[in-house]
Formats: sequence, C-alpha cells, structure tokens
Amino acid sequence: MGSVSIQSLDKIYPAAGKNPAFHAVKGIDLEIQDGEFMVLVGPSGCGKSTTLRMIAGLEDISGGTISIDRSTVNDLLPKDRGIAMVFQNYALYPHMNLFENMAFGLKLARTPKEEVMRRVTDAARILGLEQILDRKPAALSGGQRQRVAVGRAIVRDPKVFLFDEPLSNLDAKMRVSMRSEISKLHSRLKTTMIYVTHDQVEAMTMGDRICVMKDGRIMQVADPLTLYHQPENLFVASFIGSPPMNLLRGRVERREGRLVFVEAAESDAVFVPLAGALAQRAEKNLGHEVVLGLRPEAIYDEARGADTTPLRARVELSELMGSETNVYLKTGAGTVIARLHTERRFAVGEELVVYLALAKAHLFDAKTERVIR
Amino acid sequence: MKASTIRRLKLTLAHVFLVGFLVLTLTPFLMIIAISFRRGDLAIGALVPVGDNFSLEHWKYVLGIPYEAPGADGQPRIIRATTPVLLWFWNSLKVATVASACIILLSGTAAYAFARMRFALRGLLLKSLLVLQVFPMVLALVALYALLQLIGDFLPPFGLNTHPGLILTYLGGIAIYIWMIKGYFDTIPVSIEESAKIDGATHFQAFVRILLPMSAPIFAVVFILSFISHISEYPIASVVLQTERQWTLAVGAQSFLYEQNYLWGKFAATAVLSGLPITALFLACQRFLISGLTSGGVKE
Ligand SMILES: Nc1ncnc2c1ncn2[C@@H]1O[C@H](COP(=O)(O)OP(=O)(O)OP(=O)(O)O)[C@@H](O)[C@H]1O
Ligand SMILES: [Mg+2]
Repeated sequence: MGSVSIQSLDKIYPAAGKNPAFHAVKGIDLEIQDGEFMVLVGPSGCGKSTTLRMIAGLEDISGGTISIDRSTVNDLLPKDRGIAMVFQNYALYPHMNLFENMAFGLKLARTPKEEVMRRVTDAARILGLEQILDRKPAALSGGQRQRVAVGRAIVRDPKVFLFDEPLSNLDAKMRVSMRSEISKLHSRLKTTMIYVTHDQVEAMTMGDRICVMKDGRIMQVADPLTLYHQPENLFVASFIGSPPMNLLRGRVERREGRLVFVEAAESDAVFVPLAGALAQRAEKNLGHEVVLGLRPEAIYDEARGADTTPLRARVELSELMGSETNVYLKTGAGTVIARLHTERRFAVGEELVVYLALAKAHLFDAKTERVIR
Repeated sequence: MKASTIRRLKLTLAHVFLVGFLVLTLTPFLMIIAISFRRGDLAIGALVPVGDNFSLEHWKYVLGIPYEAPGADGQPRIIRATTPVLLWFWNSLKVATVASACIILLSGTAAYAFARMRFALRGLLLKSLLVLQVFPMVLALVALYALLQLIGDFLPPFGLNTHPGLILTYLGGIAIYIWMIKGYFDTIPVSIEESAKIDGATHFQAFVRILLPMSAPIFAVVFILSFISHISEYPIASVVLQTERQWTLAVGAQSFLYEQNYLWGKFAATAVLSGLPITALFLACQRFLISGLTSGGVKE
C-alpha cells in the first residue's frame, strides 16, 4: 500500500542571481513501511521540508529515486502520487467555504456529487467540523483551520500523508490537543504518515520511528527509545533529550594501572575512573580524544552502590520543575546538568557532591563524532 | 485652558482644514457642472445658474437633441448639433473598456509569470520594465504613428484612424500594471497554489480558480485606473484618430475650443459626460475593492 522508499536522494537548488547553488539534501536513503508514522526532525535548514516537498512532487528531484507503493514517482505530478499534504500555514483557499475547501480536489477529479458529499461529511465528522462547513476560513480559529487542512487531506484518501510542521503555528495548549488528535487519526486510518517537525517532543511522542537530519544528511533512523538510549553519534545525542545530554571532551588515559577519563580543561578537570563495559570500549581508544556523554537523569544526588562515581561541583542555577529539579553544576571545563529527583532547594554557589551512573554513559570518538561500541 | 477646550479647538481646526481641502478639490468640479448648465459659452459667470442664466442648451447639443436659440439676426432658430458627441462618447467607452480588459489579461498573465516562475533574465526584465515606464508614452508618438501606418498596410483594421489601432498603442503602457499586480501576487503565499496542485489542479486551474478570485481587489483597481486614464487620454488619441466619426470624447471635446471661439459650455457638458462612466464603474467595482478577500487562508 503506502510504503515509501527513498534512494540516494539529492537536491541541489540551482544558483539564482547572487545566491550560489545549494546542496540541500545529500544522497539520503530512507525506507518507510506501509502504515508507519515516520517523523523527520532536525534543526532549521537541515532539509526536512525539501525532502518532504520532493516526496510530494512540489520540488524537482536532482538525483536518486523516490518510490511510493513500490513504483517510482520521480516524474509523476503531485496529484498522481497518491499523497496529501498539510502545510505549516494551513494554505486553505480563503474564498471558498470549508465544504468547498475540502471538496476542491474531488471536484477537479469529477467525482460524482453524492460521493463528494459522503467523503467530505465523513472527514468533517472525524474532525468535528460538521457544524461549520459553510463558513469561510477567515471565520475560524487557528486550530479549526488546521483541522480543515487535515480534513482536506483525509478527503483525498491518500496512500501517504505528508505533514510539514502542521502544529508550529498553534499555541501550546492547542498544539498538545492537535498532537494527540493526529496520533489518533493515524491509529484509526492506519495510513503511512511522514511528519516534519523541529519539536523533539512531537517527534518522540508521535513517531513510530524518527529520522534525525542535519545539513542534508540523515544522522540516524530509529524508534524513539533507541534514539534516546543508543544515539549513533554526537549530534543525535545532543539533539534528542531535554535538557540535553552532558558532553565532556577529554581523553582516555591509564593512571596507576586503571583506565580513566580526563577532561580537557585548564584546571579542575573532571577525572573519572572507568570500569566495566565502558572501560572495555575506552581501552581501544587509549590516548585518543573522546567525548563522554551522560544524560542529566544519570546523575544522582546520592550514592547508589558501587556503580556510581562521585563528582564534586558547585551549583550555578537550579530550576524547580515540580517533581524534579534541574541543577546546573559548574565543574571542570563547563557546566553539567543534573536532573535530580528531589524537592530540596539548592542555593547558588553551594558545594555539592553528585554521583555519576557511568554504566549509562556514552563514549564518542571526538574526531568522527561517532559512538564507540 | 481646560483640556476639553483644547480638544474642541483641535477638532475645529481639523474640520476647518478638511472643509478647506474639500472646497479646493470640489470647486473646479462644481464650476464645470455650473458652466454646462449656464446660458452662453463663457468661462466666467453666475456660479449657480438659475432663472435666466439656466439653460439646457449645452446638454441638448451634446446629447444631439434639437433646441431653440437666438440666431445672428436675433430671431430664434432651431439648432441641431453638427458634431456627433454621443458617438464620441460611445467610442470612448468602447476604447477604454476594451483596452482595460486587454490590459488586465496581459498584465495579469505577465505578472503571474514574474511572480511565480523562475526563468532566465527575469530580474533584468522586471527592472527594465520599470525603467521604460519612466518615459511617457507620448514621447514615442512619432514611432507609434509610423508603426500604426505600417501595421495598417498589412492589417487595415489595426491601422491608423482605427479603434483597434489606438487600443494597440495603449497596450504598450502596461508595465506599471504588471508591477502592481505582481506586487499583489507576491503577498499571496505560494503554498495555497501548491495545495491546489496536490488537489489535482493544473498550472492554469490553480491560476484561474485559486489565484484570480483571491486577487479580485487588485484587478478591480487596475481596471479602474486603466479605464480612467484611457477614457480621458488625449495626446495619442488625437494623433491616431483623424476623422471626426472616429474621435473619442477627449479629442472631440477639444474641438469645441477654437482659436477664436471657446465653446466652454459644450466643452463642460462633454467633460461631465465623460465623468459619468467612471462614476458608474466605481460604484460597480466597489464590492471588489473591499479588503480582506485573502485573509484566513494562511497563518500570517
Ligand atoms: N528555493 C530555494 N532556493 C535555494 N535554497 C533553498 C530553497 N529552499 C530552501 N533552500 C535551502 O535549503 C536548505 C533546506 O531548506 P528546508 O526548507 O528543507 O529546511 P527545513 O529543514 O525545512 O528547515 P525549517 O525547520 O526551518 O523549516 C536551507 O538551507 C534553505 O536555505
Ligand atoms: Mg521546513
């Protein structure tokens, strides 16, 4: 049905006027299963929209192939690809009422009247728009408008839904409710959806799998938990998770017969002895520049057996989040963030000993930025 | 002074200014109307033509209705207009309407290309359009005359002394309209047309069914501006149209002003007459001029 296969896809925007040519998507490969909810996430300008628009057929493909349902669509018009798209700015037809907005595509395809009626009212019912079908878009709230845009997509009965940051124009509350509404829609329709966002909460909560992009390349494709717990590289490690993973630059050395990680710092460098699996991985990189990554929640305010390593630090700032507290600790060369499960208040400048759960630490090669396994 | 006094003073001053401004703009207009209803053909006279001063002779003349007037010997005579003013009026209407419609068609499609398509020399062409617009069309009068003569040799209906020929010259001056419409298209997000394309619309359908209806206000404005400037256009029309029956109102009205005899009354009546279609057009287009036609489609 709606599987999407992308092979060595390239996009080069040609030079225009004073702007030189720009290589926006650099040979990406991506397999999306039928019925899967795939999220494309990455920082601004990484090529998410460009990729999505190439799938939609709104942007020429510079190289590679895109197949939908196992047939190549490179040269097909958008309408013949079996896709529907929801835009960030809704892109409704302002001079038509909601019914006409949703029926426009069907009317162009000369669908029989009763069929149009049935499909539009079905979509309107799913989205709770039945009562306002004769209104113009100007008379709607932002959430309703985005719902109409989704309705217009549903009416097309596509093999693949494409969403380009559909919620980023809504206020925080609306965003949360639309998020779950789209998730519900997905489990109801079981249609393939490709969803572009730069909001990692959306990515983590909605995606069956997440594709993290950077500078026109795919950094990692995995389900949310794998992405969180086993990042392939430094970029994914720092991009996923909030507050972000602590990354300490330094090198692996052998001191008095033991492997240690020594932070690269002028003074007061973080110095942690390595043991267990981490030591095995470190051993291969003895003397190399490495990056030690540790999630904020892998730092505790009390010792937990032999598995934790104490670290002395000074409190720079603390954010009480309710059930937990994010504490920014000055140590070594930079700041380490710890997410502590305590309601204790921390004073700025307070000296503190925290305990690092090094068994949960990640080790990256500082040069290639890839994880060390 | 109390605050309320100051406020009242400010209000009064504002009103005085506005009324003065109104008087300034309305006086010439009212004078023209007065002259068209005043006996005789003098430029100066009673501001409000009543009683003996009042006469419909100019209007009757202009509308081709015979009327009685004292002859050279003092005896009343029936006077019938020898000039086909109503025909001129019809010519003007025809030329201005057809020219404006063609201008909408040409500048609309050109503006679409400039706003939505990327092609070689696009920027250069846009800029040169603007530069060329700086030179008034009148400067090219000789060239236009020669061109029309040439065209007339091959295609007589489009040659000198024809209305299609005159309209053809008017179609040369659309750069400003292209810029206006392009500016409007630029404010309409491309994603709306992209939506239409995903919905299955062709380039042309997206243009006609999506972009055009959203652009009604700018097309109304362009039509009105073009209509106004062409219904009263004199220099080119006076050169291109050579026989009386082909004249437009602007050219014909000028013929009332001889060296020795300025027929101000008839001139004024023709002037008011040429203003009527413009007024009618304004009233007809008003509903398209409302703003907000494009609002609601996208998140601004
Ligand atoms: N029409 C264009 N011509 C030239 N360069 C373009 C064009 N469209 C996009 N780009 C460039 O391609 C890169 C990728 O753009 P794209 O819109 O795909 O980013 P994105 O990942 O969607 O970012 P965002 O999160 O900001 O929407 C950007 O650096 C952008 O400047
Ligand atoms: Mg984008």
